[in-house]
Amino acid sequence: MPKLTRVAAVAAAVIAAGALAACSSSPASTTSHSGSTSKASASQPLNLYAAVGYDATVAKAFTAKTGIKVNVDDDSTGPLLTKITAEKNNPQWSLFWADGDTAFSSLDQQGLLASYQSSTVSYTSAGAALVPADHGYSPVATTAMAALIYNAAKVKAVPATYQDLLTAPYKGKVGMNDPAQSGPTFPFIAGVMNQLGGEQNGVKAGEDFFTKLKSNGLHVFPTNGDTLHALETGQIDYGMIQSSAAIGETIKVKPTANFDPKIVYLPKSTLLPSVIAIDKGAPAAVQKEAQQFVDYVLSPEGQAVMLTGDPSGDSLFWPIINGVTPLSQLPAFPSDFQTLDPKFWGPLEGQVNSWFDSNIK
Amino acid sequence: MAFWVLIIAILVVPILLFLIVAFSPALLSQGTQWFTLDAFKQALNSQLLVAFIDSTVVGIVTAALSAAIGFWLAWTVQRTDLPGRRALTGIVFALLLAPSYLIALGWERLLEPNGVLQVLGIDATWPREVMYGPVGIVIVLTVKGIPFAYLAISNTLRGLGREFEDAVRVHGGGRLASARMVFTLLAPGVWAALAIVFAESVSDFGVASTLANDSHFLVATYSLYMAVDSFPVQFPVAAAISWILLLLIVLALFAQSRALRGRSFRVLSGRSRPPAREHLGPVRATLMGLAFVVLALLTLGVPTFGAVSASLIDGLGSLAGSHQWDLSNYRRVLGSPDLGGPLVYSAWLAAVTATIATALATVCARMLAARGNTSAGRLLDFILLGAVALPGIVFAAGYIFAYNLPFWAALRIHLYGTTALLLFAYLATGLPSTTRVLVGTLSQVQNSMLEASRVHGRGAAKAWLTIVLPVIARPLLTAWLLTFAAILLELPVSQLLAPPGKQPISVGIETALGKYDFGGGTAMEVLAILFALAIVGAAFAAFRLLAPAGWRVIGRTR
Repeated sequence: MPKLTRVAAVAAAVIAAGALAACSSSPASTTSHSGSTSKASASQPLNLYAAVGYDATVAKAFTAKTGIKVNVDDDSTGPLLTKITAEKNNPQWSLFWADGDTAFSSLDQQGLLASYQSSTVSYTSAGAALVPADHGYSPVATTAMAALIYNAAKVKAVPATYQDLLTAPYKGKVGMNDPAQSGPTFPFIAGVMNQLGGEQNGVKAGEDFFTKLKSNGLHVFPTNGDTLHALETGQIDYGMIQSSAAIGETIKVKPTANFDPKIVYLPKSTLLPSVIAIDKGAPAAVQKEAQQFVDYVLSPEGQAVMLTGDPSGDSLFWPIINGVTPLSQLPAFPSDFQTLDPKFWGPLEGQVNSWFDSNIK
Repeated sequence: MAFWVLIIAILVVPILLFLIVAFSPALLSQGTQWFTLDAFKQALNSQLLVAFIDSTVVGIVTAALSAAIGFWLAWTVQRTDLPGRRALTGIVFALLLAPSYLIALGWERLLEPNGVLQVLGIDATWPREVMYGPVGIVIVLTVKGIPFAYLAISNTLRGLGREFEDAVRVHGGGRLASARMVFTLLAPGVWAALAIVFAESVSDFGVASTLANDSHFLVATYSLYMAVDSFPVQFPVAAAISWILLLLIVLALFAQSRALRGRSFRVLSGRSRPPAREHLGPVRATLMGLAFVVLALLTLGVPTFGAVSASLIDGLGSLAGSHQWDLSNYRRVLGSPDLGGPLVYSAWLAAVTATIATALATVCARMLAARGNTSAGRLLDFILLGAVALPGIVFAAGYIFAYNLPFWAALRIHLYGTTALLLFAYLATGLPSTTRVLVGTLSQVQNSMLEASRVHGRGAAKAWLTIVLPVIARPLLTAWLLTFAAILLELPVSQLLAPPGKQPISVGIETALGKYDFGGGTAMEVLAILFALAIVGAAFAAFRLLAPAGWRVIGRTR
C-alpha cells in the first residue's frame, strides 16, 4: 500500500474507531446478561422482545408501577425469532412476547425457556387449556384463527363449515394468507389438519382439503393486511384471517352499499394465544424481575393496560383471565373452538409450510 | 494495518462466521454437529439450481439495463443543454430513497384485479401478467439499480476532460469514434456500475417475493429467506446458500477483471479541460425531454402513486372508504412518538455512517483503482462485492454470531446490543456501494499531480488535501449522500441489531405496516423520504455556495 494510502487508511480507521467508541457508551450497553461484568443493582433493565401491539404501553405502565426499566424491542415475530435463534449461545433477551405458542413450544423443547407458574393468576377454562405442563411459557390472552370475514353487501351465501367452502357458491371467491409470510397462518392450517385428521392420522386429510380448496379457486395473499385489501377491492368475497384483524376491519369500515364486512367463525376455530416466556439463561435477578412482569400482564391491572394499547388491533383479544372484560366491540367468544398441542404441531411447521408453498400457492 | 483490522472486524469476521455455520452448526449453537455437509444436501436441490439460473439472468439483465440508463442520464446531465436537466439528479436521489415496498405497492395498486386501471376502464390483464413475473422483477430492480449506476458513471464522466474527444476529432475521427473512445475511458465507472447492480440484484428478495409471488418465479434468495425468516430458523441452510451466492460474485469479478486488465484510465489531472455541452436542437430536446418524462413516470411516478393511494386517499380503488383526499394519516404520525425520535436517531446514525464510509471508501477505491490490480486490491474487491451479494439479514445474523460471543463479556467488551455495533454494521453495509461509486473517479486521478506537489516540498497529507481533494470533492459529496440516503431507511440490519429500547425509523415503519396500518406506515415513509431529499438539496446548495471555487471547477461543463 502506498504511504499516502496508509496514512489515509490509518486516519479513516482512527476516525471510525473514535466515533464507534463514542457510541458504545449508549445506555443499552448496560443491558448485557453477562452478569459477571455488569454492575449488579437493585433493578436491572429487562429486554423485552415483543410482537404485540400493546407491548410498549404495558412496559411503560409496568415501569411506572415497579421502577424496573424495560427496553422494548418491538418488531414482527419473524425477525425476533431470527434474533433469538442467532443469540442462542449468549441470549440477551429477558422476555419474549408474541402470538402463537408453537414457536414457544419449540424454544421450550430446546431448553431456552425458564419454567414459571404465576401464583396470582386465575385462568378461565379456555386459558387453562393453553398452559403447558412444564410452564415453559404463559398464555396471556387469545385470538382465533381463522375468522372468516366476508362482504355481506356482495354475497348472500354464508358458509357453516369448512367443507362448504369447497362448493360452487364459493368458487374463486375465497382468500387466505401465506403461512411462509404470515405467522398466524400456520396455526390455522395446523388447526384444520388437526380437525380433519388429528394427531393420529396426521396431515393427509388436511392436505386433501387445501388441495380441493385450491381447485375451487383459493387465492393466497402474503399477510392479513393483503387479504383484507383483496376483500376491500373485490378480488375475493371471503377471507380467512386472524380474528383481531377481522374485527378491526369491521370497526374501522363504515358499511356502504358496496362493502359491508361481517364475520363468521367456522367450527372449529383454533385458539391463537398471545404468549410470554422468560429466558432461562438470564441471571437470577433478571429472571425475578421478568417474573414480576409476567405476573403484571396476567393481572387484571396489566390486562386493562393491554386493552388500551392497540384498540383497533391487537387489543381486540378475548381475555383468558377471570374477571377481565374484553373491549365492547368484541363479539362473543367462538363457541366451537379447539386448542392445538404445540408439541405435536410445532415441529411440523417447516414441513407443512413447504408443502403449502409447493402445492397450494 | 489499522485499515485491514477494521475491514476484517466489520466485514470478514461476521461473514466468515456466518458461512462457517454451514459446515459446523455446533460452533455457534445452531445444531449438534461439529462438521457436516447436511446443510448443503438440504439446500442443493433442483429447485435451487433453477433459482440460481433465474437470479443470474435477472442480475445480468438488470445490471446491463441500469448501466445503460445510468449512462444515458449521466451523459444528458453533464454533456447536453437539455432544459431542466438539473432536476434529473434530484430524481435519481428520490429513486434511491424510494423503498422497494412503495414501488411494488404502486404497481400492485395499479394492476391488481379491480385495481385502479380496471376501475378506470382499462384492461390490466396483460400488463399484470407481465409485471407479476420475471419482467416485473427486472423492471423494479432496474429502477433500484439506476441511482447506483448513474452515480458511478457520472462521477467518472465528470473527470473526463474534453481533450480526448478533441484529439479524436483532430485526427479525423467522427462522432461515433469519439463516443467509442469516451465509452472506453469510462470503463472503470461502467464496470463498477455493472458489478454493484448485479450484486444488489442477486441479493434482493423483497421485490421478487412481492411481484413474483403468484408466478412461482424462483430466485436464489427465496430459499435463503425461507430458511432464515420462518420458524424453525435454519442458519446452516442459509449459510450453504450464501456460499453459492458468493460463487456468482466470483464470476462477476472475473468478468470485470478480464475487461479492465492491463489498461490505464488516468485521465483526471489539474489540466483537465471542461468539455463543451452538446447543443440539442428543438426536435432532439423535445424527444429527449419526453423520454425523461416517461422514465420519471415509470420509475418515480409509480411509487409516488403507491404512496398517495396508501396514505392520502381514503380507500382508493377499493369498495370501502370515502375515496376522498385525507391528511389524517399525516396528522396522526406527525404527532406520534414513532416518527420524531426514531427519525432523528436514524438520521444521526446515517450521517455518522456516511462520513466514516466516505473516508474509508476513498481508501478502498484508491486500492481498487491501483494500476496492475494488486492481490490486496483483488481480495478487497471480493470482500466488498461479496458483502453486497449477501442479503442484509444474513449480514446482521453474522454480526450477532461474531459480537455476541461469550468471550467478549469476559473481556468486558459489550458491543452487541449497542448503537456502536449497529454503526459498525451500517458501515459495512454502506462501504461496498460507496467504494464502487468512487472507484471510477479514483481510477482517473493521475499520480503525477501528487508527485509534482511532493517534489516541491509538500507533505503527503497536505499534498493530498490540496491536490486530490479538490478534484474529487464533488464525487465525495455524492458518495456521502448516497450512503446517507441508503442507511437512513435500511431495514434488515436495523431489525436485528438495533439496541432494545432504540428504534430506527425503518423498523417503526415496518412495524406499522405489519399491523396493517398501511396509511400510517406509508405516511411515515413519505415524510422520511422528504426529510432525506431536503438533506440532499441542502448539501448540494451548500457545496455550490460554500465550497472553494477550485473544488467546483472540476467536472463543470462549459
